[in-house]
Amino acid sequence: MNTKLLATPAPAPVSTNTNARARLRYALDRFGLPLVFILLCLVMAFASEYFMTWRNWMDILRQTSINGILAVGMTYVILTKGIDLSVGSILAFSGLCSALVATQGYGLLAAVSAGMFAGAMLGVINGFMVANLTIPPFVATLGMLSVARGMTFILNDGSPVTDLPENFLALGIGKFGPIGIPIIIFAVVALIFWMVLRYTTYGRYIYAVGGNEKSARTSGIGVRKVTFSVYVVSGLLAGLAGVVLAARTTSALPQAGGSYELDAIAAVVIGGTSLSGGTGSIVGTLFGALLIGVINNGLNLLGVSSYYQQVAKGLIIVLAVLIDVWRKKKR
Amino acid sequence: MKLSTKKVGKSLAALAAISLLSSSIAFAQDKTYKIGAAVYGLKGQYMQNWVREIKEHPAVKDGTVQLTVFDGNYDAMTQNNQIETMVTQHYDAIIFVPIDTKAGVATVTQAQISGVPVIASNTKVASANVPFIGNDDVEGGRLQAQAMVDKLHGKGTVAIIQGPIGQSAQIDRQKGEIEVLLKNPQIKIIEMKTANWSRAEALTLTEDWLNAHPNGGISGIISQNDDMALGALQAIKSRGLSPNDVPVTAIDGMPDAIQAAKKGEVITFLQDAQAQSQGALDMALRTLVGKDYKPQSTIWERYAKDVKWGEGTDKVYILPWVPVTGTNADALYTQVTGTK
Repeated sequence: MNTKLLATPAPAPVSTNTNARARLRYALDRFGLPLVFILLCLVMAFASEYFMTWRNWMDILRQTSINGILAVGMTYVILTKGIDLSVGSILAFSGLCSALVATQGYGLLAAVSAGMFAGAMLGVINGFMVANLTIPPFVATLGMLSVARGMTFILNDGSPVTDLPENFLALGIGKFGPIGIPIIIFAVVALIFWMVLRYTTYGRYIYAVGGNEKSARTSGIGVRKVTFSVYVVSGLLAGLAGVVLAARTTSALPQAGGSYELDAIAAVVIGGTSLSGGTGSIVGTLFGALLIGVINNGLNLLGVSSYYQQVAKGLIIVLAVLIDVWRKKKR
Repeated sequence: MKLSTKKVGKSLAALAAISLLSSSIAFAQDKTYKIGAAVYGLKGQYMQNWVREIKEHPAVKDGTVQLTVFDGNYDAMTQNNQIETMVTQHYDAIIFVPIDTKAGVATVTQAQISGVPVIASNTKVASANVPFIGNDDVEGGRLQAQAMVDKLHGKGTVAIIQGPIGQSAQIDRQKGEIEVLLKNPQIKIIEMKTANWSRAEALTLTEDWLNAHPNGGISGIISQNDDMALGALQAIKSRGLSPNDVPVTAIDGMPDAIQAAKKGEVITFLQDAQAQSQGALDMALRTLVGKDYKPQSTIWERYAKDVKWGEGTDKVYILPWVPVTGTNADALYTQVTGTK
């Protein structure tokens, strides 16, 4: 039988042809975004002699770190076909909580934990609303966007928290060797959540829930638990981002993080994660976040008006999703 | 939440006052006035100070004025709706801090036709009939630009961090800045971009600017408000530069900026929230009580040199910008934060 099959000659050339095409598509799928990213960097490098300096790259990475941390959490949520609109508000709330604890003199560990705990708790509420009460994620987190922002203003009567201790500020403006601490935090977060998503059963479950909820359920995955958990992850990371941002701006501002959710979603979508769930990766999100960072930085270096910056970002988002749509149609 | 509970408390107080009035109508010489303050938004510290100060006005404290504060949430339409509501509820007067000089004109005119006087505070209403008390943003722009020119001895390259493009404060402050800088041809404007009043945005922008113009390419930064100046200062410091290498000038006089000015890290000019809010209330009471009314706020004494109450019927009261210096910083900080 086997030999007979192998002996049939006819389909061979066709199959190599489709193979090549499939391979090309696979390559574009996988390396398309990095390619665009490198191209953009090359263009910028020609346009500004300061773009390719070590210092500028450290700045880009530091500027990307906040959005990057948010986007990692957002990737988890979007992979389950959800969305978290409340990350900007949670960031501000957690930043303020953390700064308040820090100024009370409870020490760095307590302050950071307080911020992350506050974020995670709001994430728990989001998760409960979406997973247990089955409120659509868009609505549930839209509600949280408003509630958490209001709570942030109530917490300190609308005033910023300033005079933060030195060791707290180091989280935002300090350096470890030549590399800024926000970059290191971002890198560690990305690494951990990349590994969890890629190498654990929990990670597989997230893809499964987003890919096909029904078959995930019939194959015994606790869909509700998984859905719940991704909002906690997103809240936790928003909390961490809030702590870093407060340290970076040397004060926790209650109006911080306005519309940050949009940049986080943009990074995820540009990174190739589908809003309809089930496909995407942390690596893609990293490139998405970096792409936004490079565009903002590059246009600042070139002195291009911020009007164009917004146009450019919007076009790239739409283009990224368009590519995703085409890709799906061809399959 | 806080506001709304206060509002409930106030409407209860109003009910009590009404029943008191009706029972003792013969002695009702001490009339109470229902005055509404429509402020553009309570998310920023400046308007929070403004509201705190107006509540400290003697007429509010002794109950002559029943004050209700409306949060416009940075939206012109919300503010217009609030003014219409106040007219419907027969408020005696309205103090208006508009988000935009033009967006409210029609609604304000309608209120005036209905017989409700409107006083503009902090930002003008682009209508000749609305009395105004506040600082002149064009003058503020001139002052901060002149401070930069002096600091650079009339020579150098400056970058300007703008407020949200199209907002009245941004337009006027920039007008003043450009006016002064044009008079000093040795000063070149090499960058100009918005950071939307945001400290975080200004931080990023300045970091990028310092990369684009390394080795002293930027001699100074003019920031159209304090928060953005503090972001710029942060970027300068983390670049290992000192505020002496790249001076930053700003305006507003926020608490953090006053602290920084005390250390000589920024140059800033205070606009007095107390004077803007309490002064406006005095103007409103003058129109309601009549020419016997004497202003009760201490601010008329504080600025007696620059602003004259006169008959209390002037159309425009322009308050001075107060330079924040090492010697007055502590006093101004106490005044601005309300810590006594």
